[in-house]
Amino acid sequence: MKRPRNSLLPIAGTLLAAGFLAGAGPAQNGVTGRAGNFSSAEYFAPPHPLQMKSRLSGAEARPVSGGLLVIQELKLETFNTNGLVEVIVTAPDCIYDTQAGVARSAGHLRLETGDGTSHIEGDGFLWRQDSSLLTISNNVRTVIKTPAEIKTGL
Amino acid sequence: MKKIYLIALLGFLGGGLPAQTNVPATPPTSRPPTRINSDHGEFDLSSRRAIYYDHVRVEDPRMTLTCDRLTADLPQSEAQERHIVAETNVVIYAVDEKGQTNHATCDRAIYDYRVEAGATNETVTLTGHAMMESAQGTLTGEPIFWDRTRNRLTATDQKMVFRQNVSPAAIHTNSAPDPAPASPVRTGTEIDSNSVTPP
Repeated sequence: MKRPRNSLLPIAGTLLAAGFLAGAGPAQNGVTGRAGNFSSAEYFAPPHPLQMKSRLSGAEARPVSGGLLVIQELKLETFNTNGLVEVIVTAPDCIYDTQAGVARSAGHLRLETGDGTSHIEGDGFLWRQDSSLLTISNNVRTVIKTPAEIKTGL
Repeated sequence: MKKIYLIALLGFLGGGLPAQTNVPATPPTSRPPTRINSDHGEFDLSSRRAIYYDHVRVEDPRMTLTCDRLTADLPQSEAQERHIVAETNVVIYAVDEKGQTNHATCDRAIYDYRVEAGATNETVTLTGHAMMESAQGTLTGEPIFWDRTRNRLTATDQKMVFRQNVSPAAIHTNSAPDPAPASPVRTGTEIDSNSVTPP
């Protein structure tokens, strides 16, 4: 399914709201500075155009050359059409290509399903926003809990 | 094509359950989680499908499985279905209720778990050089169908080799046990599809 919106647009809007582009200092490769509490959202195509499909956020975003953003404390959430969280991905940092809608990192990653049934960890990842595909490069570790464990919080 | 129906021939599930069409779903009991480790992985976050590559190892409370590639759907919280496919160099070790370790190998194993109308069905289908081995003997077939709910093995084009200290009569088939001693070149009694009648 094609993205109903260009992922760059919500990013730019968010960065503007954070004062990221306004009043920036001397430009290097077009952009400089940092932004806190950055987020980028993508929405479902009709008939659910108001439902968020995914949200990529971070505690801080710093632009680098080539339209890339270095994001600290990455948090990626995906939702179903009912608005329920499908998965939550967290990582200490990543590089986000705003044009391609791709996030990557050589660092650690943790994925947890929204219902708490499973979690996955690994080192090094590539996230393709348009296809919702996440590739983990090394040391993939998955834990799938049984229903009893979930209910008892084990 | 002939088939053979064996009630826990290899003792994979130990004590065994009554042979029913299916078994009512039991309330969840506390047990360790299932762990899947691999070198690499690819995850479709829309469909919750996970594909694991290279040195895949699944550790479940009842068995350990290794293979080169494994496809699994991450379950929903109240999942009524689970479908897992293991491919290439599949090796399974399962410990039965008697504490015996049983061993299976194949090119492809398909695990299906489903709860329908309050009844649980749990099956494993082994294909491609499929072989199951236990202290009682060895079974080869194409495929070997392992009904974990009913504690039953079904094999097509099967060949069985029993170890010397196990009576073929103990496997609950309708065939008469072979009174002749095993061939000196064999380690046990061998039965193929022409010598065993399905019940």
